[in-house]
Amino acid sequence: MTGVVKFLHRQFVVPFSEMMKTFQHNYAQDGGYFPRIRGVLTQIARFQEIKYGDHVGTDELGNKFYENNRFFVGRNRWVDYNQETWADKWDYNASQITPEWHRWLHYMTDDPPTKVPPKQRPFLIKHKRNMTGTNDCYVPYSTTRPKIESWKPPN
Amino acid sequence: MALCNVYKLSSYLTRKSIDLVGSTRAIVTSSSCLSYKLVNPKQDVPSLRNIVDTNANAVFGTELLRGLGMVVAKTFSEPATINYPFEKGPLSPRFRGEHALRRYPSGEERCIACKLCEAICPAQAITIEAEEREDGSRRTTRYDIDMTKCIFCGLCQEACPVDAIVEGPNFEYSTETHEELLYNKEKLLENGDRWETEIAANIEADYLYR
Amino acid sequence: MARLIRNACSLASAITNGYPITTKLVPAATISVRNGSKWQPNAEYINQFAKIELESPSHPVHGEVSPEAMWAPEPVKYVDMINNLDTMTVNFGPQHPAAHGVLRLILEMAGEVVIRADPHIGLLHRATEKLIEYKTYTQALPYFDRLDYVSMMINEQCFSLAVENLLGITAPPRAQWIRVFFAEQTRILNHIMGITTHALDVGAMTPFFWLMEEREKMMEFYERVSGARMHAAYVRPGGVSQDLPLGLMDDVYDWAIRFSARIDELEEMLTTNRIWRQRTVDIGIISAKQALSWGCSGVVLRGSGIKWDLRKTQPYDAYDQVEFDVPIGSRGDTYDRYLCRVEEMRQSLRIIHQCLNKMPPGEIKIDDNKLTPPSRSQMKDSMEAVIHHFKLFTEGYQVPPGATYTAVEAPKGEFGVYLVSDGTSKPYRCKIKAPGFAHLATLEHVAPGLMLPDVVALIGTLDIVFGEVDR
Repeated sequence: MTGVVKFLHRQFVVPFSEMMKTFQHNYAQDGGYFPRIRGVLTQIARFQEIKYGDHVGTDELGNKFYENNRFFVGRNRWVDYNQETWADKWDYNASQITPEWHRWLHYMTDDPPTKVPPKQRPFLIKHKRNMTGTNDCYVPYSTTRPKIESWKPPN
Repeated sequence: MALCNVYKLSSYLTRKSIDLVGSTRAIVTSSSCLSYKLVNPKQDVPSLRNIVDTNANAVFGTELLRGLGMVVAKTFSEPATINYPFEKGPLSPRFRGEHALRRYPSGEERCIACKLCEAICPAQAITIEAEEREDGSRRTTRYDIDMTKCIFCGLCQEACPVDAIVEGPNFEYSTETHEELLYNKEKLLENGDRWETEIAANIEADYLYR
Repeated sequence: MARLIRNACSLASAITNGYPITTKLVPAATISVRNGSKWQPNAEYINQFAKIELESPSHPVHGEVSPEAMWAPEPVKYVDMINNLDTMTVNFGPQHPAAHGVLRLILEMAGEVVIRADPHIGLLHRATEKLIEYKTYTQALPYFDRLDYVSMMINEQCFSLAVENLLGITAPPRAQWIRVFFAEQTRILNHIMGITTHALDVGAMTPFFWLMEEREKMMEFYERVSGARMHAAYVRPGGVSQDLPLGLMDDVYDWAIRFSARIDELEEMLTTNRIWRQRTVDIGIISAKQALSWGCSGVVLRGSGIKWDLRKTQPYDAYDQVEFDVPIGSRGDTYDRYLCRVEEMRQSLRIIHQCLNKMPPGEIKIDDNKLTPPSRSQMKDSMEAVIHHFKLFTEGYQVPPGATYTAVEAPKGEFGVYLVSDGTSKPYRCKIKAPGFAHLATLEHVAPGLMLPDVVALIGTLDIVFGEVDR
């Protein structure tokens, strides 16, 4: 009997209460009812579902990372891509996660970089998303001097 | 020269009467070792019970209903699909993804242009040219990887004696054009500078096995 | 032009009437165009086919006539078909989803009955064997992943065993057990793909989705041990490349105790299902004699009732130390081969459990500096290790002259490598014996007399992968 109650609780009560928490916590920063509802609708439009999790941290590009171990491995950690501007909100890319959080999100480690800070090096550069298809995309060029110098006709 | 080699080889083989080397694997036919299982045993003699059972199953479609029940039960189980760009599947520290050239903690590039990776690469995707730098150390002037030729076998990172070329954890580098995948040294070093925190952590996590 | 038409007419008359042609078909002196690219059959050649009739026993010869056999289509006479010009030639593939890759199958159909099936191959030919002659033994290894690309590690194992045979070495026990451990996972990986896509072609889509989830888990194991989800390059001559990571065996155990329930679910959907049985029972029968004479191996051979499994008859690696049964069919039809594959998955699971229990500690590579590269820590400390490392990754290792044919029991059948070494660090010749090649060739003999949808079931049951057929 207790098993049945537990099962029903887990199946119906917990998701509902988590949904309410989503309303209350994650999208209430702006204050007021309208932004809250808008935030949840945005989440549904981008994420296709309402999922509640503990906010583990935010990377330097503004992506928020969540964890809820009620879901199985593969679904228990997720990222909410940066939504500062309208373009960010709807033009997110899987490659815009910074390396230190990439490691946590792919389950290579259980310690998020907030708990175990990564080693800093002087040469590290800021992460950048995959720029293909834009004007900033990588174009190959030769890194050596040309082996042959072409003949220039005398004037 | 090649013909000469062939002749030498064939004469060698005939002299040894093609001594197939793998004589360590004996053929075993003793019955104690052979255990076979008939997956399709002979059907029972037709008794009244069998006939009634078969016909009842045929009429009522019991096996179809059982299968249907299975499908219905599965629809209520939790789906295993992950919501990809937000949720990602597990990877291990050994994952072989996009290449990167690493640096020493001082900022000096690791690669010393020993060209082991170029030599081992089965797809011949790596091109290296080296010169002496102003300070007298030997460095590469060209380190190109044709990522469209690369087969991601991991032999380059195994070959590298200074852990300079590594296959990093990134796999989200798909491009719209072919030329964007012709990486040069600058691009590879940039990859290394960007992913160094994760690459270093992965190498450290796997130190027991290397 | 007129001459061409006349030639064509006389050709047709030769086929239809079977009369010997006394006049010369092509007067060689008057021909202006060489037509070297065209094949001009002569009269004797045509006459030998004049009275050919197609034997198409669509149903078994042995045993009594089953009720289904009474409703079987009449055997088709090839000659009649040609006389009435009733046949239609259909290109099955290479884009057909049931062609399992780039198979181009040319089917000559009389209505819905196949009277001639002609598999065309070569669309995925990459000259692997020739390429290997120009690679060192280390470099040749990743090519083997890409042959049968749903049973990757078993191909590597075969090549590694062949090289070890030539070198006269054996891998240390732990490496052997790791190989068996992953070979059996690979077998399950392959059979999942084989059975479920077969079912998908025949019309049962559901098991495909269920078992792909399991396949995904096994690919994660692959990824954890080697770093790549499919093309592992993990099994090397002399052992394996890296040791199992900590915790992997626990996770494999967790997966293995649950997987037998997944096989039960698969069987619940298919084994007794009447639609599945109607589509597979007595379809594509290969008798024991035919299976032997056509060079079948693996499940196609065992489904016909021949007791032959290289893991039993010529055990390699640690297969002589594990217990398992080899499933044997009796009728040699598609259904029996399906049952064999399901049972093989269960037996593989049994072997995996034994590997988990018996996995010995110790080295994972042979302790010979001339053959296997040193570890990183050795390389940082010892100059000699660095020298060995450099020699191994540039020149490779020399293999003494000799020849070997080494075969393993791949999930599809006997996968063999015939390797000739001339004493250098590159193979002189590497011939790959792929089971799918022989199985695909049987299509020409088995398919005639079947209906078109049965050809789809037949391609599925032969478990053809074009990476190994075309090489």
